[in-house]
Amino acid sequence: MPHLVINNVTKIYERGRVRALHEVTFQVEKGEFLVLIGLSGSGKSTLLRCINRLVEPTSGRIYLDGTEITALSQRGLRRIRRRIGMVFQQFNLVRRSTVLANVLAGRLGYSPTGTSLLGWFSRRDLKLAEQCLERVGLLDKMHVRADQLSGGQQQRVGIARALMQEPQLLLADEPVSALDPATSHSVMKYIEQINREDGVTVVASLHFLSLARRYGTRIIALRGGEMVFDGPPQDIDNAKFKEIYGEEAEEVEVR
Amino acid sequence: MRWRAGQVRRLLKHTQEALAAWWKPVKREVVSFLADWISWIYLIYGGFSLHYMMTSPTLIWRPEEKFVLPALAPWGWFLVLWGTAELALVLRSFFWSLGNRALGVVLTAKDGSKPSFRQRLVYFLASHLALLPLGVGVLFRPQAPVHAELAGLRLSSVSQLASVPRRRWYFRMFGLTGLALLGMTIALGTTVTGLDLGRMIRDFRKPERMWRGLTHPDFTYFFRADPGIGQSVAGGLVESLFMALLATVFGTLIAFPLSFLGARNVTAKGLLGTAVYFITRMFFNVFRSVESIFWAAIFAIWVGFGSFAGSIALLIHTIAALGKLYSEQVEHVDPGPLEAVRATGANWVQMIRYAVVPQVIPPFLAFTLYRWDINLRMATVIALVGGGGIGRLFFWYKDDLQWQFVGAVVLGFAAVVWVLDYVSGWVREKIT
Repeated sequence: MPHLVINNVTKIYERGRVRALHEVTFQVEKGEFLVLIGLSGSGKSTLLRCINRLVEPTSGRIYLDGTEITALSQRGLRRIRRRIGMVFQQFNLVRRSTVLANVLAGRLGYSPTGTSLLGWFSRRDLKLAEQCLERVGLLDKMHVRADQLSGGQQQRVGIARALMQEPQLLLADEPVSALDPATSHSVMKYIEQINREDGVTVVASLHFLSLARRYGTRIIALRGGEMVFDGPPQDIDNAKFKEIYGEEAEEVEVR
Repeated sequence: MRWRAGQVRRLLKHTQEALAAWWKPVKREVVSFLADWISWIYLIYGGFSLHYMMTSPTLIWRPEEKFVLPALAPWGWFLVLWGTAELALVLRSFFWSLGNRALGVVLTAKDGSKPSFRQRLVYFLASHLALLPLGVGVLFRPQAPVHAELAGLRLSSVSQLASVPRRRWYFRMFGLTGLALLGMTIALGTTVTGLDLGRMIRDFRKPERMWRGLTHPDFTYFFRADPGIGQSVAGGLVESLFMALLATVFGTLIAFPLSFLGARNVTAKGLLGTAVYFITRMFFNVFRSVESIFWAAIFAIWVGFGSFAGSIALLIHTIAALGKLYSEQVEHVDPGPLEAVRATGANWVQMIRYAVVPQVIPPFLAFTLYRWDINLRMATVIALVGGGGIGRLFFWYKDDLQWQFVGAVVLGFAAVVWVLDYVSGWVREKIT
């Protein structure tokens, strides 16, 4: 049974009547590093957000390990979201809170409402938070306010927050496009490590094809909300590239 | 057929969109005309009132007297309203229009060129058909109002025109009209309030006893209770401070949870969420628009004169005012963390606690401290209707003409306010 199934997913934004996704269908196996590419507005972010239903798809079905996400109640949805980590383009940290508070927020789905309101977490959660921060190399920044960190460090906190969920699937929405090239690679390597060592399936959208080629085991390209390519990275030749990004595009290398 | 929530929501959305599309052109025609009309009514009726106040042989306006609106015969009202409407129509058809100017539109032909005299004449005459009978010619087909269609003209936004047709200065005297409005406001203002600097200078000796009392305050009853009132100044100050504190603390505790229900970005998307949002906002607006002094008058009768009535009065206004300020702050938070916390499987309460609250704590604290300041000031005023506290001593001594004690009250109060200002400023600086 495939790990993640996307079946005929369509999303139409009612305001402005924009068709963001049109009958997208694919399957992802456990442990894959799937990269979504495409121009801005091609539907990458929408697709990622449909998977954990931050955006409600207009039609179509999505399954994770045989559970139909699109049919879940709010309660069921919260339970399945615990197993899906997410990393964001703008990091989405609470800038005024400490790194530790931000990381612990990743554990909220598992914590009882009452104690978490008081800011109490179990000893295991605190231990886990330390381990996650250690993995992304930020153990010494635990009690620093998030807005004191550099962009790359903030994104690593974002990754640690996702790790706290002990996820089976990690969604990454343009995780490095707010970062400079050198930092991009260091952040991507942490995501790759999670994919290789923990066997977490990764679905990431990336701007640069070079990054996609370097880290992805499989690439799906979207154009105007439709899938125009699905295959291994080395299959994207010049003609395919023009089809995805348009005739005028030039490939930019990120080293 | 059963109605599903989705259908209702879609219907609401369509209605909302249709209303917005209707309102935009209506605003251009109707609001612009009303702005013109009202400014001319103001200028002409204002001028008439000024003339009346200055020259009426039966009633020479004196500042001691209460201002009464100059009466007009029914036909006089009719004449003023109709005459000014005609004036506004003539000016906006042939000359200039303040309303159009304010909305950033200009009268042009369909293709954006300068209208001819004949077109302007048709526009003027047809305006009587469309605008004067309650704007029916506009309300039903705002995209193409009757008078504009007949004349082949339209109001185009200046920002979308390639070139704005420019006319001679006497065709567009916006500045002069604006100046006339300002001048009329100053003239009416000084006359109605009886502003008289000469009198202020002439009579500077009148409050002499008061000045002397205030500059020679008598602190006899500052800490010792005045047997006449049964309270010391310090006691009154403490009472007022706690009235303000109680209203602020309870107000904050109640407004804090309510504010999340009155913020559009965190209330649920469905019908229920929208209803909760509107009801909360309406509650805030209604209770905020009624001043504390009114509540104090009610509660003074309800629960008896004194600081209890005063505290409750302050509390009600505080909840509404803080609730509104808080909700607006919640609506301005960075949506990123909300999305991220939601994605971890957190529920609504956890999302509020971990994504919203950390972002709004500093502004909430600043608002709360500011509110304490306001409440302390209000606590003195509401003594006028039986609210208790330091204000009661002020009004007591003032009515008794005991200015030396009034001086002690005023100085004591000023000292407390100064300390409070300083502390709250320091705290606000620390938390941001």
